[in-house]
Amino acid sequence: MADIHASLQARADGKVLTKPVLEVADLAVSFDNASNPGAPRIQAVAGVSMSVFPQQTLAVVGESGCGKSVTALSTMQLVPSPPGRVDRGTILLEGTDLLSLSEQQMLSVRGGRVAMIFQEPMTSLNPVYTIGDQILEAILLHQKVTVEEAIERAIDSLETVGIYNRLKERFKSDAMALKRGKSELLDEYPHRFSGGMRQRVMIAMALVCQPTVLLADEPTTALDVTIQAQILELLRDLQRSRGMAIMLITHNLGVVAENADVVCVMYGGRVVEYAQVFELFDRPMHPYTRGLFSSIPGLQHRLRRLTTVEEVTGNPAEFRKLPGAERGVIPWWPGLPKEARPPLESEREPYCLHEIEPGRWIGCWRTPELATQGSRRPELAYRRDS
Amino acid sequence: MVTYLVRRSLLMIPTLLGITLMVFMLLALAPGGIGASMQAAGGQGNTTGIAQQQAYLEDRYGLSEPVIVQYAKWLSSISPIKFGTRDLRMASGERVSVPRPIPAPSLPQVFAPPAMPAVVFTPSADESQIAEFKALQRDAEGARRTYVGSVRLFRDALADVARAVGAPLVGRLDGKGGAKANEFGDVLTVLDAAQAQAVKDAASTTGAVNMADAKNNSDASAATSRVEQLARARVKLFDAAKSMDTKWALAEETRQRATIAFMAGPYPKSGFPVIPNVVSLDTSDFGVAFSKNRPVWDLIIEALPVTLLINLIAFPISYFIAVPTGVIASVRRGSWFDTLTGVLYLSLYSIPTVLAGVFAIGFLANNQYLGLFPVSGMHDTTADTMAFLPSTNDAGVYKCGWLLDVVWHIALPVLCLTYGSFAILSKQTRASMLDNLSADYVRTAKAKGVARNDVVVRHVFRNSLLPLITMFVGIFPAMLGGSVVVERIFSVPGMGSLVLDAISNNDRDLILADVLMIAAVNVFALLLADILYAVADPRVSYE
Amino acid sequence: MSDINQETPNMISGIDAMRGVGQTRAKGFWADAWGRVLKRNGARFGLLWIGLIAFFAIFAPLIANSHPWMIEQIGANGEVTSRSWPLLANLTATDWLLLLGVFVGAPWILLGPRSLTRSQRTGMFVVAAIQAGVIVVLVPTLIEWSSESSRAPWLKEMARGNNGGWPIAAVISLGVACVAAWIPSIDSLWTRVASALAVAAISGSISVTAGGATLINFERYMDNEAAGKIRCVWAPIPWSPLYTRSDMVAAPPGAMVEELPNLESWKGTPFGKRISIMGTDALGGDVLAQMLWACRLSISIGLVSTGLSVLIGVTIGAIMGYFGGWIDLLLFRIVEIFMAVPVLFLLIVAAGVLPRNTYMMMAIIGMFSWTGAARFTRAEFMKLRKQEFVQAAQAVGLPLRAILFRHMLPNGVTPVLVDASFSIAAAISIEATLSYLGLGPDGQASWGKLLSSATASTGTFVWWLAVFPGLAIFLSVLSYNMLGEALRDAIDPKLRKAAH
Repeated sequence: MADIHASLQARADGKVLTKPVLEVADLAVSFDNASNPGAPRIQAVAGVSMSVFPQQTLAVVGESGCGKSVTALSTMQLVPSPPGRVDRGTILLEGTDLLSLSEQQMLSVRGGRVAMIFQEPMTSLNPVYTIGDQILEAILLHQKVTVEEAIERAIDSLETVGIYNRLKERFKSDAMALKRGKSELLDEYPHRFSGGMRQRVMIAMALVCQPTVLLADEPTTALDVTIQAQILELLRDLQRSRGMAIMLITHNLGVVAENADVVCVMYGGRVVEYAQVFELFDRPMHPYTRGLFSSIPGLQHRLRRLTTVEEVTGNPAEFRKLPGAERGVIPWWPGLPKEARPPLESEREPYCLHEIEPGRWIGCWRTPELATQGSRRPELAYRRDS
Repeated sequence: MVTYLVRRSLLMIPTLLGITLMVFMLLALAPGGIGASMQAAGGQGNTTGIAQQQAYLEDRYGLSEPVIVQYAKWLSSISPIKFGTRDLRMASGERVSVPRPIPAPSLPQVFAPPAMPAVVFTPSADESQIAEFKALQRDAEGARRTYVGSVRLFRDALADVARAVGAPLVGRLDGKGGAKANEFGDVLTVLDAAQAQAVKDAASTTGAVNMADAKNNSDASAATSRVEQLARARVKLFDAAKSMDTKWALAEETRQRATIAFMAGPYPKSGFPVIPNVVSLDTSDFGVAFSKNRPVWDLIIEALPVTLLINLIAFPISYFIAVPTGVIASVRRGSWFDTLTGVLYLSLYSIPTVLAGVFAIGFLANNQYLGLFPVSGMHDTTADTMAFLPSTNDAGVYKCGWLLDVVWHIALPVLCLTYGSFAILSKQTRASMLDNLSADYVRTAKAKGVARNDVVVRHVFRNSLLPLITMFVGIFPAMLGGSVVVERIFSVPGMGSLVLDAISNNDRDLILADVLMIAAVNVFALLLADILYAVADPRVSYE
Repeated sequence: MSDINQETPNMISGIDAMRGVGQTRAKGFWADAWGRVLKRNGARFGLLWIGLIAFFAIFAPLIANSHPWMIEQIGANGEVTSRSWPLLANLTATDWLLLLGVFVGAPWILLGPRSLTRSQRTGMFVVAAIQAGVIVVLVPTLIEWSSESSRAPWLKEMARGNNGGWPIAAVISLGVACVAAWIPSIDSLWTRVASALAVAAISGSISVTAGGATLINFERYMDNEAAGKIRCVWAPIPWSPLYTRSDMVAAPPGAMVEELPNLESWKGTPFGKRISIMGTDALGGDVLAQMLWACRLSISIGLVSTGLSVLIGVTIGAIMGYFGGWIDLLLFRIVEIFMAVPVLFLLIVAAGVLPRNTYMMMAIIGMFSWTGAARFTRAEFMKLRKQEFVQAAQAVGLPLRAILFRHMLPNGVTPVLVDASFSIAAAISIEATLSYLGLGPDGQASWGKLLSSATASTGTFVWWLAVFPGLAIFLSVLSYNMLGEALRDAIDPKLRKAAH
């Protein structure tokens, strides 16, 4: 509880963390059903709101298909269209609505103010260009510098992600050889690098233009556990030194616990729970979140077997555990039987995000009472002490 | 890279040998084998003349030997490593081999050939030397030819004897009724016996002639005619043997003279000796095309550039048209352009080259209809007198010039070669562009802020080039194959016309050399494609 | 997740999509592919055209023939003295077999015993058709071969003796029947044996008894008809491809016989009223008749040569891909040899030196174009070899034959089958090319041969000899190509994804 108060205080102070850099409000994105033209459209994101503050790591978690990657891709406006389409919502980057920008204006945002790294380091680099070419391309697109300066920056950037560590060990005494080795490395092709090294190159490429927000879409899923730790460590260091906001998309709850400041749990294209990380791990409130946590294997479990998500969410009694249940504050869940749902304000929009206690938002059924309160964009300016 | 190239080049050799072996076997598979087809091409004349002509061809191409031996001989002649005495090379580049030894007459123990006196001959050393040398070589070849023909006649006479005698000689004839001379060592003994028997028979039957018995009469006349038949066969055999012996003596003598003249050598020796008089290196000898009476290599050298020219023009054109349309089709996937090019190219792909050629020459070139293009050849008849570039002469009349003339002539052939590969290339371009458009690195590039068109050009297209290089392997051979038809239709004197002529004349050496050279060009092109691929794709290394 | 569908019936969430909500139930692989193929207009057109060609391939002898369907002999008083059926009497064994095949085969596949599935009935029919085809081809060829003068006396006796070829026909038919009974089209061995024997008996006797003299005096029909001695009922197109008249060379399409120069003497006779719908060729033969008869060559050359090349290619490719190692190395050198030289060159050489008949041409096209199938199969088998189900089959200890043909082949043959459609198109194109170059089968109507007479040596261009056969060649090649493309798009999942 102390943490919560600290964060609220911080927000009230208006000193440390004043305004979110990235605000997503009521975003909805849908797709054509490609494999079956007659089938209904797929509503990948159905009204998602979240916000990221400077130097904050917002972790977006959820199972495959819950819409977390689509949210990130919409921020970059990289949702392929067709089949994808943004139905409604706003995405504010430092006050500008990205969705209203023209393609030309977006070009300077992508890679410049917002950067993104992806899950597949093995295929995310173009195999026929050297890594130098690919980093230079990013620099020259966004910064007015000469090629020589750009090369300098590329080397600096690779330096910060630790590509040269091994090189440095080899040429400890020979500064000239080290310098030559560094620029020679720029002429290497991606296939000569391991997965972890490639992800470092990706990060270097993403960070070379000093973005304000970094969208990391499962950056460590395809990597070894040891490399995973290194990459996350690297991201944390870079965040600290550059004051950058990170939206970390993952389904690895361990990574969340280690790295996130604020967690946004998504399901079915909607936010089901939004809270500060320790709060969430200590007291998960939405039955889905609880199911998620109970399905993690751990030494502390003394049970014969783990509880699955379905076991938790399949039990209507679980949905009445929320404070305010008697007022009709029932967590939103598409699979909840009709009789267990509270009376809704409208059948068309059954969902709203409800701040159930300070700093804790839960996706709830939209009863008339909650509808009058209005669905507020969750905003939690917490940053863990490092 | 260099080691890779060397290894690949060495691997080309067995492949090319395999091709020639296959073609050789194919020619041997023809009914009656290579010999039959070549002899059929030997020419008309009386039966004796045909037999002699056949004998000559058999001798020249070694047709009586097993196919594999013939193949080995052909290989050794095209191999750059030569054994034995080196050839002489005339100023014209034509080469003269040392006169081959002449096989001794058959059955020397029966029909003793004349003893050959040692030929004493001094070739002249003045300027008449060359003329004398040529005459001697020609004489030697002519005498050999006559001798070989007379050997055939001798064997025919032997076969006649065998048929006249009947058992046991007739059983020794081979399937085609020919006689192998070395199995007839006892021919005179058997013939003598048969004649004696026939005379005896005749004598015993003539005694009964007066009996006016029809059966006996016919027996008697049969016996008499057998006597006559045997006597005729005997005369013919001895005549043939005598003729063979005299021809042999003449051939052997002229050969020795020619050999002496050859050793004196009015021309420089050809090739480079490794071990003098045993092994030397020399250029390949593809033989002489009997149907055209010219060295095969000369014919190839004339035809190959023509084929290469039309193919090397057609090849880039098809890439330059198909690839951009494929790119546009992939970027505007599902648009009218995509659909239209898809349908159009598939239709073009479905027009066989031969059909396009016939329509082009009929409707575009023939004077009955449009008459826009020439119907045949590579040049106008007056091409020799043309300036290279277009010009206007003093009277202000426009002359098209040699270059434009060639372009005008090859326009239709090139057109017919080009259109077929549009479909394959453009479809492949489209497919690999679509593949790459959804690739992860394209998303990365977009996330970097690269504009859409730059993404397509710099990232997607560059990667889509790789399969296009691989397509080379399928398209180039198809185009080379198509050029056979195109050359025939438009009377272009290239490798295709050459091979078709060679086939209609059963000219073995020409067919082999033609196929070998086409295969070599093709294999070389594939090697080139491999190198290009290595250059274009950094992931491939041939270290 | 039924509730969410009730709330928003035309929307599903991404999670539902991952779980397969909104997907239709899958059909079988081939049924699905076939359904997709039939959705394409191009493929439908292709099937239609191929069907048309097949129809004419079977019925051409009945439609286009210079033999009258029926002849009525007219007596002195104008009464009909006798009737005869020259057209039927002159049908060859192949003609009879095709007609029989259509009238028996189609009902058999559609209405045969219900205890067999449609695919089993089709399988039986295909085996029977191949068996009958082989017998009808082999028997006359072997009878002819054995009656040559240089053969052994007992062979000649069998071919030419009083039995008139029956012994040879019996031996061949039974031999082929044994092979056919061995092919596992259905499970019951006895049914297979019975069917093979029945087919052997029918096709063997047809091939000995059927008519089909090659040298026929067609003129006597016309002369007698003009003289009023007979009355003829002609086929719809009263021309045979082999019937050429030197006084009718290069008549334009739609020409009536009596209007042609040199033929005024036929004025007023039934023959004089005849029309050559597509004109005549450089030898004076009717183009339409040749076009129709050539359908048979077009259909058969594509199917047989591609069948042969697929058979060879799949076998060699499977061996290469499954065993790998030095076997692969060795066999791939052979494939490389074929790749190193343009196949058309080899085909021209082969067609130039080998006997010019249809079967030889099918054989050489098949023998020289198997490398594509071999390469596809090899690549597929190399992939499959490493897959778990194959390793499981090996671990269970299945015999090699079962692993190769029961487990791997059905999974690896798809690209070959897609490619086969294009191969058929290529074979038709090659046939036209070789025929154009004068290397085609002798004594056989062919579109390519017609095309080659369009540009005669005289330098004139006869448009109807180029346009009609050219169009037929083009449409046939196009049909198979469109079918192949539709099939490829339907089957290749990568392309299917890219198509959307």
